[in-house]
Amino acid sequence: MNAVIDTSMSDHVLVIAQDIFTAMIDGEPGGLVPGHVPVSELVDPWHAWVDVRGDVAARAVVTAERGTCDAIARALLSMPDGEDVDRGDLVDAFGEIANVVGGNLKSLIPDSGALTLPQVAPEAPATDGVRAHEVQLSWRGSPVVISLWNLNGTEGE
Amino acid sequence: MRVLIADDSRVMRQIVIRTLRQAGYDGWDIIEASDGAMALDIALAEAPDLVLSDWNMPELTGIDMLRQLRASGSDVPVAFVTSEGSAQMRQIADEAGALFLIAKPFTPESFRDALEPVLI
Repeated sequence: MNAVIDTSMSDHVLVIAQDIFTAMIDGEPGGLVPGHVPVSELVDPWHAWVDVRGDVAARAVVTAERGTCDAIARALLSMPDGEDVDRGDLVDAFGEIANVVGGNLKSLIPDSGALTLPQVAPEAPATDGVRAHEVQLSWRGSPVVISLWNLNGTEGE
Repeated sequence: MRVLIADDSRVMRQIVIRTLRQAGYDGWDIIEASDGAMALDIALAEAPDLVLSDWNMPELTGIDMLRQLRASGSDVPVAFVTSEGSAQMRQIADEAGALFLIAKPFTPESFRDALEPVLI
């Protein structure tokens, strides 16, 4: 089975992520920019992910620190700054970001089967796949990382 | 205008409602469903003027909800608001009888462009 995620696809991630944050969160471009913090350096990270399952298998994982996840949820739900975000809203909001990232990436994979429902957890998803790319971003100065995985055990580049 | 918004994400239902308002569609009577089976039940029971449905939902996907609606004889208008807007998905939606498919992320303009031709 061939690798799903290659360099050309990862090039789309920044554009897709910026479109999502502009349309759904910030209301104007410029909130999400390229960053430089690897996922391994995030403190209290939460992970949201969806899989593409079919003839090919891939995963998109969005990772951010808990405080950033809370801020994303507040923005999506039009909540005031500083208001407490309960776990249900965090899971819903952060999962929806992964869902839209995954759906847009899936559109780039021909005959790619189905998209799974999003999952969100403070633990990284277990996988025997291979991480093809890690796209480091910064939203309002806070790190956000999108990782793309080939779940079929082949390298993406 | 009574509109059923079906999405398993409360956040996304809220964003769709907010975006409709930003697109100028104020005052619509909004009903919400949190999965495809609930959407099917409500659509059959209440025959809204429009169903705006996610595709990928628990219990019943949006496309299966539409197919079951049509199989039951309902002609309630259905459109999709979903994270995947590939040509393949659009063709499947079209063949099942959907009015249109809006891909996430969307803007108020996306909704106006899709809705204006069908709200005549």
